[in-house]
Amino acid sequence: MNDFLKKAFQSYYLKPEISFPERFSRREYAFIFWGEKQMVRHISFKRREELLSILRRRVPMHAYYSSAYYEKPDAPTMNEKNWMGADLIFDLDADHLPGAEKMDYGEMLKLVKKELQKLLSFLLDDFGFGEKNVEIYFSGGRGYHCHVKHPEVFQLGSQERREIVDYITGRGLDAKDIFGEKVVETKRYGEKVVPIKRLEMPRPDEPGWRGRISRAIIETVKEIRKGDKGIEKLMEYGISRTRAEKIMESLSDERIKRIEEGLLDQSPEIRRFFLKSAIDEVAVSLSTGKPDEPVTSDIKRLIRLPGSLHGKTGLRVQAVKIDEIEEFNPLDDAVVFGEDKVKVKVTRPFKIKMKGENFNLTPGEAEVPEYLAVFLVARKVATF
Amino acid sequence: MNIYIAAKYPFLKEAKEFVRREEVSTEEILHDPLYQRARDLGMQRVNEAIERGMVGNYVTADETDALMTIFSYPIARMIVAGIGSDFLRSRYALAEAKRAYSSLIKEDNDFVSGMAKEFGIKVTDGLKIYFTDYLKNAPTWSEKWKLVNMPLKNGWVELKKVELARLIQENLRRRLYNELLDLRPPASIKKVFGDDVIRIKNLMQRKEMERKVEIGKASISKFPPCMRQLLAAAQSGVNIPHVGRFALVTFLHSIGMDTDEILRLFSKSPDYNEERSRYQIEHITGKISGTEYKTPGCSSIKTWGLCPVEKMDDICRKVSHPLTYYRYKWRSKK
Repeated sequence: MNDFLKKAFQSYYLKPEISFPERFSRREYAFIFWGEKQMVRHISFKRREELLSILRRRVPMHAYYSSAYYEKPDAPTMNEKNWMGADLIFDLDADHLPGAEKMDYGEMLKLVKKELQKLLSFLLDDFGFGEKNVEIYFSGGRGYHCHVKHPEVFQLGSQERREIVDYITGRGLDAKDIFGEKVVETKRYGEKVVPIKRLEMPRPDEPGWRGRISRAIIETVKEIRKGDKGIEKLMEYGISRTRAEKIMESLSDERIKRIEEGLLDQSPEIRRFFLKSAIDEVAVSLSTGKPDEPVTSDIKRLIRLPGSLHGKTGLRVQAVKIDEIEEFNPLDDAVVFGEDKVKVKVTRPFKIKMKGENFNLTPGEAEVPEYLAVFLVARKVATF
Repeated sequence: MNIYIAAKYPFLKEAKEFVRREEVSTEEILHDPLYQRARDLGMQRVNEAIERGMVGNYVTADETDALMTIFSYPIARMIVAGIGSDFLRSRYALAEAKRAYSSLIKEDNDFVSGMAKEFGIKVTDGLKIYFTDYLKNAPTWSEKWKLVNMPLKNGWVELKKVELARLIQENLRRRLYNELLDLRPPASIKKVFGDDVIRIKNLMQRKEMERKVEIGKASISKFPPCMRQLLAAAQSGVNIPHVGRFALVTFLHSIGMDTDEILRLFSKSPDYNEERSRYQIEHITGKISGTEYKTPGCSSIKTWGLCPVEKMDDICRKVSHPLTYYRYKWRSKK
């Protein structure tokens, strides 16, 4: 079975479309070869042709390069390599996604895409990176990689990178300071003067998380108001029916108007609900495709070589333009193999749409296009 | 720049210019009776750093006073470098940085942003600084300073004057510490300041010795699972996140460990840097920040992803604070 895949990969690596990393000769390269468990690493290349030659001759199952660049990238220990800097990498993967195993491949990747869009909004708007500094790659597996290549980030250490991760995931957000208290009127009860306080929301145009929370709350209110399905909408946020009814009850027209004007009642229900749903909406979510944190703050990690093939799918690690993310379909755009018919033995029922064609496979022998054959064998759904 | 401002900020380029303009040699500064006052003030800077953790603001009644104050700064640096104790280098660098901060917060915005620029911090549009400079200089281990709680837009963080001054303090502290490491003091330092140098050297050696005292006091078996896990990570050299370190330090401090005992636990961390760790610990425990940070409760620890839910035990389920867990175990043992 490895032979089949290896041969297919070899045909691709005769004429691969590799995007070579900048500072090419300062990077460490690493490979996993077919049938071997151990990663071969600490390799460096002076010229691009040397890398192409390895791909062609040895045909790796997986190919990686280091996000860091080093003085001596081929030295056997990290100390001797002498770290000079590193790109900032975010890894969004469907692996931790709840219920991912029940989803089909396409659905899974769509969910990760949503997280990717949130991540991009942080990187472009809050961190102010230009589109030219941000590269998106389909990982060839179950997610996307985002590489930030900006001269100001190369030298950041791992604590500083972790702060950036905390920012996009909302970790450590000081929620209690987001709403200010404001006295809106006073009431007299005989001798006593009682101030009526409301929580003041941040303005939608405020920078950072404050503005984002505010915009998300207004968005949520609009969502809930649309039609009379408010309770169902609330339940979509994971709120029980009883609680949703309670919230809807308390959302009088007057209250909603106040929220749109920036004042939130001190009703704990309302405050808790809006804050939580807003944070969930804004944060690059920890549960659905969180950027693998040790990965981003690790200043010397290995990442898949753009243009190489993923050994467990046969799909290409594929660059995706920012304005083409919505349309990008890995099961079409990251497919490199051709239409030639190949006989495989399917081992379990499997449905997939690839290259625009629907396949509904049942166990047993089947004749399928080569691109599907590679995918099936690599994912161990079929044998050759 | 006028000479009085230079006297307040003797580390600035312009202040060094005043020294250069006097065209005196290091030997003259160290021996000429003309500079006796500068030498006294230099020694005073060092003593105050040791005793109070902060250098004082000296009155400069006239230009001579100001000039002597300016000269006292390079002299103090030579003394510190001559003593050659890392503890002293850290402490002195911090004490000078804190003094600068206390003056800076009284200046206007332009002055503060001007100084930030001189230190290579990118500033724009008043008091906005570039986020990478923010990350390198802000005490982000405290929640208030985490980037997530700052107004970040297009790469720039908008700060208040005192906040920028605080970042300058950190930048200055680090800069000064590194300069002290590289500084080769003239041999005559020991002759000129002989008795004081010996006295301080002994004092510093005693401090270093105290570090070697056994930990012992804290009983690890009574730690809650989260702290046990963090401690194990710190001791086995696994890198732990900032918030984790913060939680652990506040906890260890609350149960009675001092800076040196905590430091020793961290010394195996892969990115261990004694000077930085000491600074962080002393900041968190309130020794230098004036704020003694409290140990975060279980809810924060859970939010930060530091609660090993699978290791929770019955006591965990009863309490909502790691310290309550610890005290509970103490009581139940007795």
